[in-house]
Amino acid sequence: MLQVLKSLRLTQPTRFASALSSTVTNTSSITADASSAVNSGEPDKLYSKLEIELRGIDPAVLKSYTWFATTAAEHLGIELGKCWSPRKAHHERMTLLKSVHIYKKHRVQYEIRTHFRYMNFHKLTGSTLDTFLEYIERNLPEGVALQAAKTELQQLPAHLQQPPEQV
Amino acid sequence: MATNLVRLLESSIRSNNAGVASRTLRVFSSQQQQSEQSVEDDEEFRVLNLRTVKQQARKRVIKKEVAPPPRTTHMPVDQDWTAVWSGPRSFHPASVPLPLRQGYTERGAAAPSKYANAELMKIPNFLHLTPPAIRQQCEAIKKFCTPWPKGLESEATWKAIFPVEVVTTDYCHSLPTIRHPEARRVTITLKLTDLKFDAHAKDKFLRLVGDRYNQETGVLTFVADRCPTRKQNYDYALYLLTACYHESFITEPWEDSKSEADMEVYLFERNKAKVSAEAILNWNATGEKQAPSATYADSVEKLINEGENEYNIAKYKEEVLKMLKIAI
Repeated sequence: MLQVLKSLRLTQPTRFASALSSTVTNTSSITADASSAVNSGEPDKLYSKLEIELRGIDPAVLKSYTWFATTAAEHLGIELGKCWSPRKAHHERMTLLKSVHIYKKHRVQYEIRTHFRYMNFHKLTGSTLDTFLEYIERNLPEGVALQAAKTELQQLPAHLQQPPEQV
Repeated sequence: MATNLVRLLESSIRSNNAGVASRTLRVFSSQQQQSEQSVEDDEEFRVLNLRTVKQQARKRVIKKEVAPPPRTTHMPVDQDWTAVWSGPRSFHPASVPLPLRQGYTERGAAAPSKYANAELMKIPNFLHLTPPAIRQQCEAIKKFCTPWPKGLESEATWKAIFPVEVVTTDYCHSLPTIRHPEARRVTITLKLTDLKFDAHAKDKFLRLVGDRYNQETGVLTFVADRCPTRKQNYDYALYLLTACYHESFITEPWEDSKSEADMEVYLFERNKAKVSAEAILNWNATGEKQAPSATYADSVEKLINEGENEYNIAKYKEEVLKMLKIAI
């Protein structure tokens, strides 16, 4: 844990400062345009959704991990969306001859079962998302893969807001 | 039992003496050892010993480590569990004060206990992520989090200011490499209504983007994964959007040669219907010319573009009667 905190401290301060400044601008005038604000700095990003897909061999581990991640989100004040898992696991099967050479009627079947689990989190600022994602990624148990799809919100670029004047 | 105790005492005395006196008084110690041996040898048959005492190979005593009792017996009830199990670690029965049982047995028998149980060691445990531990850690990292800005609570409010959505994906897995080929993929989506067009530009834009526009939802989607890094792909997707948008406002000289057969919708202005209607309205007229009304034009366009249905035909009839001033 100490290690987590240390590394977080190492990586976060600049981001944190910029995040603070941007929230100030965000709350005062809804547009997250930090150039006009007093605090100059990189404006914080906004993410409308963070979708996490977990895949692993053991459904019990995935369930425990989901509980951990949702509890952490609750403590950090992150809005929790839909959390679900498909009822059946993916079965990847391989059928081989049981003997080395002949006896085609006798085979063995090997299979890999992959269980999936999904979590959705809504309305995160960039600094919250980085903190939360790093925290849960560091506590990922062995044999579990995580995929995080982030939906970032952006303004329309200035050159697309008005039709071009001369072409 | 008593003999054992005596032996234990003797051996302890011997070891103490050997430690203290062996260096200084070698002679004395050897004598003493002899005397001790005589005491020991009382019990068993004496053998002829031709070698000196020093040469005699001592019987090696294999010391067996006495295993201390499990830690769980000393644990207070109100201990700080996060200090006991602070990080991820495989299961250890002597540190976990829980009567766990796990494993397969024959029918009716109880599952094996936690001691020397490989089943419990195989599965990753969450003993370091107990509810108090999560709360502590979250409180420690909460200072890096910022709240969602006020005024952007609903999707409609943030869509008005931030119409563009950029979807990227991160991966965390246990492969030997930390790279993932899908991590470079960038998807940009926005509504067509967020961009400003005139009629020609909109038509041309939709032709340029092709499949990237979803007619049912009205959403434009640009997916880029051809460049090696995410930044490059993001730049490329934005470039595509920009290029299509600006290109759609250019009217090429060959676009004027679009004939009626190339038109995708029926336009009243360009067609025979307008000429005929004008001819009927201006029959034998000499002064200024009369033009057919906009509602009539609209009804004709709808009749041909949307097809002949009950409503369109009724509307067309009504417009024709109005134009020709026929009262029923």
